[in-house]
Amino acid sequence: MKKGKVLVAMSGGVDSSVALLKILELGYKAVGVTMKLWEYDDVGGNILSDTNCCSIESVTKAKMVCDQMGIPHYTLDFTDIFKKDVVNNFIEEYLSGRTPNPCVRCNSHLKWDALLEQAKKLNADYISTGHYARIELVNGEYFLKKGVDPKKDQSYVLWGISENTLEKTIFPLGGLTKSEVRAIAKKHNLESANTPESQDICFVPDNNYSRFLNDTIPKEMKNIQGGDIIENEKVVGTHSGYTNYTIGQRKGLGLSNPEPRYVRKINSTENTIEVGKKDSLFSNLCKVTEVNWLVNHPELPRNAEVHIRYNSPGAEAEISGSLTEVLVTFAEPQLAITPGQSAVFYDGDIVLGGGVIV
Amino acid sequence: MSFEGKRCYFDIAATTPLDNDVVNKMSDTMQRIFGNPSSIHSFGQESKIVLEKARKQIATAIHCRTSEVCFTSCGSESNNMVLKGILKKGDHFITGSIEHPSILKTADFLQNKGVEITLIQPDKFGTISISKIEESIKDNTKLISIMSANNELGTINPIKEIGDLAKQNSILFHTDAVQSFGKVPFNASELLCDFISIGAHKIYGPRGAGALIIKAGNNLFPLIHGGGQESNLRAGTENIIDTAGFGKASEIAVNNLEKNIQTIKYLSAHFLKGLDENKIEYRINGTNQLPGIFNITFFGVNANDLVINLDMEGIAISAGSACSAGVVKPSSTLTEIGMTPELALSTVRISFGKLNTTEEIDYFIPKLSDIILRLKSS
Repeated sequence: MKKGKVLVAMSGGVDSSVALLKILELGYKAVGVTMKLWEYDDVGGNILSDTNCCSIESVTKAKMVCDQMGIPHYTLDFTDIFKKDVVNNFIEEYLSGRTPNPCVRCNSHLKWDALLEQAKKLNADYISTGHYARIELVNGEYFLKKGVDPKKDQSYVLWGISENTLEKTIFPLGGLTKSEVRAIAKKHNLESANTPESQDICFVPDNNYSRFLNDTIPKEMKNIQGGDIIENEKVVGTHSGYTNYTIGQRKGLGLSNPEPRYVRKINSTENTIEVGKKDSLFSNLCKVTEVNWLVNHPELPRNAEVHIRYNSPGAEAEISGSLTEVLVTFAEPQLAITPGQSAVFYDGDIVLGGGVIV
Repeated sequence: MSFEGKRCYFDIAATTPLDNDVVNKMSDTMQRIFGNPSSIHSFGQESKIVLEKARKQIATAIHCRTSEVCFTSCGSESNNMVLKGILKKGDHFITGSIEHPSILKTADFLQNKGVEITLIQPDKFGTISISKIEESIKDNTKLISIMSANNELGTINPIKEIGDLAKQNSILFHTDAVQSFGKVPFNASELLCDFISIGAHKIYGPRGAGALIIKAGNNLFPLIHGGGQESNLRAGTENIIDTAGFGKASEIAVNNLEKNIQTIKYLSAHFLKGLDENKIEYRINGTNQLPGIFNITFFGVNANDLVINLDMEGIAISAGSACSAGVVKPSSTLTEIGMTPELALSTVRISFGKLNTTEEIDYFIPKLSDIILRLKSS
């Protein structure tokens, strides 16, 4: 059987390298591309100390892996659109007191569309990435499913891709565990076999959001002053600037109570942080917007397992409302439902869809 | 990657493969000669002779004295050496806005150190006008640097006239001749240039060998301090192998200049005929270009996509200027000559050299045509 050509998105890490290997083993032709999304020295960082994806080192590694497998590799520049659609949104969300998930936004607003467009231009039939997720064809319909490695499953960050892109996407790692992937990389002596895990947001490689915001938007950050910490409508303390806090945070509040207090709400317009005891952080309701469905005919209301953060167990809930904006009613109250994060709906392993928590 | 099948290299302006005679010369040097040219013993003397023979070949090729040839590692080093070795705080420097980055970035660096910079914008063909330079001259103008020919457009500048102007005003004049040396007649004795940058790898010599011609009577501070090599102007034990290759390449280039120009003109005409016969829409940018350099806009086609698609067919051309991570941005040379960013992003450089053949061009044209049609329809 003659198989098609696959555009493989290569970050220079071990996952995308093994994805390429698997694509070739499956009998496809392949071309490797690295999406250059972000320049660390744009925010005052040192380009030489940048070892994350998009660094010269990672791009070079991707090139070396492609060379090992005898396929061409190209770097594609997406820095402008990434800045506009992902980084600026991340900043706006933080300034509005929410906790955004830029990886979700990147996948849904940039990566898939850009890769598919590029695939078309390079005469490729499919795109492939090293995400730990599966795509299965059942009765003529393509479904996005969890990766089999529960610790690595990345279906959570993929809810935003268009349903009609599933048939053009191949996830070769969905059936593998991370340790299997590492073993394959080692066995084939891939250049990227020992690349460390990247957990942080790619454009904040030091994981220091305050540093990132101060470097990127120094003027706006100067205007963010300290303000009141409020509990039950009473001022109980002072915060150092609302962008330094996230929902559920306990440390760094400077409060002395026998029972610990947690951030339960960030109000950017009034420059206040609301705190409460742990039980006050539980809620069984959340509103979700920008909903995207990955199944053909979602019928509401329906029950689903809902995940409200990356790598956390799901919870039983009922989803109701319209197809673009839903209300999630959990069977059990959930801790620290965080505006800006994604709520992803599952039926077993199948991703039904997802949206952004308001 | 290993590429199976036919490959065509049409990126001669970026760098050239080694001429066979250059390979032989370098290989012979590599195998036999290793002494330090500064050593007194016979091993050192052998090396010294290799170095001085290469110097003589280059001096003959460019028409200057051997004592005026200072070896460097590349054209960029030669450019850096002139600017950093001449300009001091308070000096005024005139250069073009589409010079090579090794001039423009060095000018930026010097501006931060207190050097006054005037960038002359070229006309829409990439030519720097003499009157614009004349208007920019001030009392403290120390140096003018204008490239002999632009690396992206191929446009040749009126270097003789600019040199005359500089001399009349007692201003030092440098030209970056990396792209033109060995491709068109270049006679340093007829030009009033104080400094000329040249390199080996655009004339079928090795990468990593360059020179700065420093006309007698001029002096400058070295970029690399250390031992007394190159008349105290460039420290570091000399790169004998690459320099031997550079000398040989210069000799071959100049001895075969007319023949090569005729070959390349023939290839160029064949290429243009092919474009027209296949009804490909294009526009050639620049004027009075070096032979074989085509800066071409293919309307409605993204240059990067075109370059990648051709590469997957084994055909090498260039879009914009290559940078370390392989990312292609709209070329500032093209926007400086007044092209819109959109048109600049649809523009590629195709450059032919003496080793290309009409068969290669016949292989290239239909592929180019197919890819352009496909990209336009997608």
